[in-house]
Amino acid sequence: MVKVKRGKVAAVRRKKFLKLAKGYVGSHSRLSIMAMEQVVQGLQFAYIGRKLKKRNFRRIWIYRINAASRARKNVYSKFIGCLRNLNILLNRKILSFLAFNDLSIFNLLERKS
Amino acid sequence: MNRRFSQPAWHLVDAKNKICGRLSTQIVSLLRGKHKPNFTPWYDCGDYVVVVNAQDVHLTGDKLRQKHFIWHTGYPGGLKQRSVRDQLKLKPEEVLRKSVLGMLAKNNLRYDIARKLRIFPGPKHFHEDKLPPGTPSVL
Repeated sequence: MVKVKRGKVAAVRRKKFLKLAKGYVGSHSRLSIMAMEQVVQGLQFAYIGRKLKKRNFRRIWIYRINAASRARKNVYSKFIGCLRNLNILLNRKILSFLAFNDLSIFNLLERKS
Repeated sequence: MNRRFSQPAWHLVDAKNKICGRLSTQIVSLLRGKHKPNFTPWYDCGDYVVVVNAQDVHLTGDKLRQKHFIWHTGYPGGLKQRSVRDQLKLKPEEVLRKSVLGMLAKNNLRYDIARKLRIFPGPKHFHEDKLPPGTPSVL
């Protein structure tokens, strides 16, 4: 039987993880086993975080639109309802930006609703 | 903490005959900055709230007698309690302060937000320069 040498396969796999673990503290960026654990967990959290980020920002936009509405004697729920009836499809990101930066347009929208 | 978003405003609140918990929710809203269109949950973007007449805050039901503040000193047998009525006699500001701080998230931001809450038992307060006498109560 021909001798099978395992070659570089394992080393290549470990190097991949060590590259992703750059910047980690201590042996977490130097030792392949610890690096693998940290990187796998890190990638998991990144996946979850990308989804959470979308939810969290929508929350902040809603807080801000609500605050701006209440400053004008309105309420977020009624404001959004009226905008939908008027067929204005601006999303909450833009609305919150307007509430903060371009008051004139926001006021216009408020008065319409 | 981070004040670069806007200059914090000062609000006066008269707690006389207001219901403690219901007043506290509104105070927390002001302290956190939920009324501002630039509200960011991880910054302290709220306003200062000066509460006066805290000794005249109202609690419904029999809470003056029945509601107790309970704490443990750490020593064995060191469970202590004090009724709201006694607390009002001893240090009346604490009743409202516990109520408000209990409604804040228990995180690092809480300390900074708590600093912005100034409670006084009677009608006088120390912040005459920011809130001249005659300013109306916000809540």
